[in-house]
Amino acid sequence: MTTGVLLYCFDTPVTAYHKLALKSIELIQKNLKLPITVVTDHETHRHFPQFAGVTYILIKQQTKNFRFYRGQNVPWYNMERANAYDHSLYDTTLLLDCDYLCFTSNLLELSKSEHDFLLHDKVHDISGVNKIIGKLEATLPIVWATVVMFKKTERVKMIFDMIKHVQNNYEHFRNLYRIKFKNYRNDYAFAIALHQLDGQIATPKFIPTPMNMLPHEFDVLETTETSVVYKYNKKVNVITDTDVHVLDKEFASVG
Amino acid sequence: MDIGKLKKYSDLAHDITVTKRNSLEKMRSRQIMAYNGRLFRADAQTINTVSTLKAHAKEFYVLDTNENPCLVKDPDDFLKKLIERNQETLNTLSQLHDSLQRRT
Repeated sequence: MTTGVLLYCFDTPVTAYHKLALKSIELIQKNLKLPITVVTDHETHRHFPQFAGVTYILIKQQTKNFRFYRGQNVPWYNMERANAYDHSLYDTTLLLDCDYLCFTSNLLELSKSEHDFLLHDKVHDISGVNKIIGKLEATLPIVWATVVMFKKTERVKMIFDMIKHVQNNYEHFRNLYRIKFKNYRNDYAFAIALHQLDGQIATPKFIPTPMNMLPHEFDVLETTETSVVYKYNKKVNVITDTDVHVLDKEFASVG
Repeated sequence: MDIGKLKKYSDLAHDITVTKRNSLEKMRSRQIMAYNGRLFRADAQTINTVSTLKAHAKEFYVLDTNENPCLVKDPDDFLKKLIERNQETLNTLSQLHDSLQRRT
């Protein structure tokens, strides 16, 4: 039985995602010690040196989507995650955003469980300001596609097929679930697919602890081997030995 | 009192509260452990449950974090692992707690 990490990384005209991925790869190799597959495009791939234990899958990604980031709409190439089941080379996969930094080995516990599909349904805002979740954003509870542990089972294949179906008909599902955001978000596509497949009843099959997140309003000043130093409203704080999803996309050029 | 001093105290209180909250989340994340293919929290409630059931039966069922039943065939081994993980996380938290106390 093989276990590995799957990352999706595509540079956009605005954001050099490969810088985030390089930091993420460094931490995964140190703390999870698992083989890594990076799904990327030719242009982004040029920035990756050859690492032992890192495999690259080159594809041509869809480039129609956008996201709201610090007061403006920016390109967002996030449509390929629905193909993770097909892209994964492993029996057990940890599918991670390339801006999710693994400062611990905690995710390994998930891969040791018999669950075939786990992701977060709760977040913890490490800034203490609670800026992550708004009110009345949709009529179904959100899940977070940032960290997904999945195994190659028939059920998981159905989940990913359902995600592709939702993605292909996203406008319909967005209206059905009254999702406030007009752009395509994997979080909602995953939430809708699970809701549809689970008989439209909420089922408690999630990662038992919330995902730590640092909102994009917070500037990352430094990342080290063990910590993230961040700043907001002239306040500087640090989080140490804690896995964290960092939404500030400028940070990779700082560390 | 000098308003600057009050603001400084407020900033310190904010930092300490946020740090403590994050440390508790860090502890809870580390307390998740896999056992017999199931996920459990190595917290006081699980330890107490296992310890109590162990006193009455050689094998027993407990619910995992996602409310699935799990047969515990070796309660001593399970309890040992739960306590080890629990104390590892509390030891880390205790060190941080001491450092926070020195800041106040």
